[in-house]
Amino acid sequence: MRGLHKDGSAIRVMAVDDSPVTRKMIKKALEPKGFEIVGEAGNGRDAINLYNKIKPDVITMDITMPIMDGLEAALAIKKLNPQQKIIMLSAMSDQDLVAKAKSWGINYFCPKPFKPDEMADIVIKVTNS
Amino acid sequence: MDPNQTLAPFIRASNSVFKQMFDLEISKGQVQSEGDTFISQGFTVMVGLTGKWNGWFFLDMTQATAIKLAQIMTGEEYDTAANEEVLLAGGEVANIISGNAITDINNLQPGLNIRLSPPSIFTGEGMSMFNVRLNACSVLFQTEAGNIKINVVMKEAN
Repeated sequence: MRGLHKDGSAIRVMAVDDSPVTRKMIKKALEPKGFEIVGEAGNGRDAINLYNKIKPDVITMDITMPIMDGLEAALAIKKLNPQQKIIMLSAMSDQDLVAKAKSWGINYFCPKPFKPDEMADIVIKVTNS
Repeated sequence: MDPNQTLAPFIRASNSVFKQMFDLEISKGQVQSEGDTFISQGFTVMVGLTGKWNGWFFLDMTQATAIKLAQIMTGEEYDTAANEEVLLAGGEVANIISGNAITDINNLQPGLNIRLSPPSIFTGEGMSMFNVRLNACSVLFQTEAGNIKINVVMKEAN
């Protein structure tokens, strides 16, 4: 199983995306490999509230979402915990957007679409970074 | 903006997204005349484009094709295109194609700052959409999952 820490416990992931279908795709990509999806949120505000309760190892965060977008939510979470590992997922990855995300301490910018195996590799890479 | 210049990034993005997300080879796009009325195959997603240039991107397919794509994405079985997950899956595919294409356009022409608005999804047999700003040409791709049609309308914002 690739989605495990060295002590054998599962790498805990929170999936944030306004599309339940994309959240399902993330689960489908990660759960069979041993990762545990410990929480899901459909907008940035719910993500911050949920983060305080579950403290995942890694967050996958969509950018374009209603109520509060993913960049704003990621910035708020980084203020709460600068060490929190966050992967931004977005169909748009123009240079301005990627530069802004990096300047805010985002650990990885993953353009959509993603392949299931790539997603697992990225989560492991970010967990161990 | 030259209509061919506008269409090319969407053709490239469609090719790449169908290959990456669905492992589907798609044919070289065939240009199809539409006039000012877009004829739907039964399942149409419209994504708004806003910025210094604005307009719409249309992704169109049959309801059977929409069901097939959703099944590949989620691993679930669906018996109708009206299922919420099929609708959302279609919206996500259109969002990803248009996002990838707009990324290319924004990178090539910094300052345009084009962004996407949430997709709207329409289903129904025999739908036609009239828009005087519609691009006169759609591009039709053949895939193993069925025919996919795209249309892009972009004009300088007033």
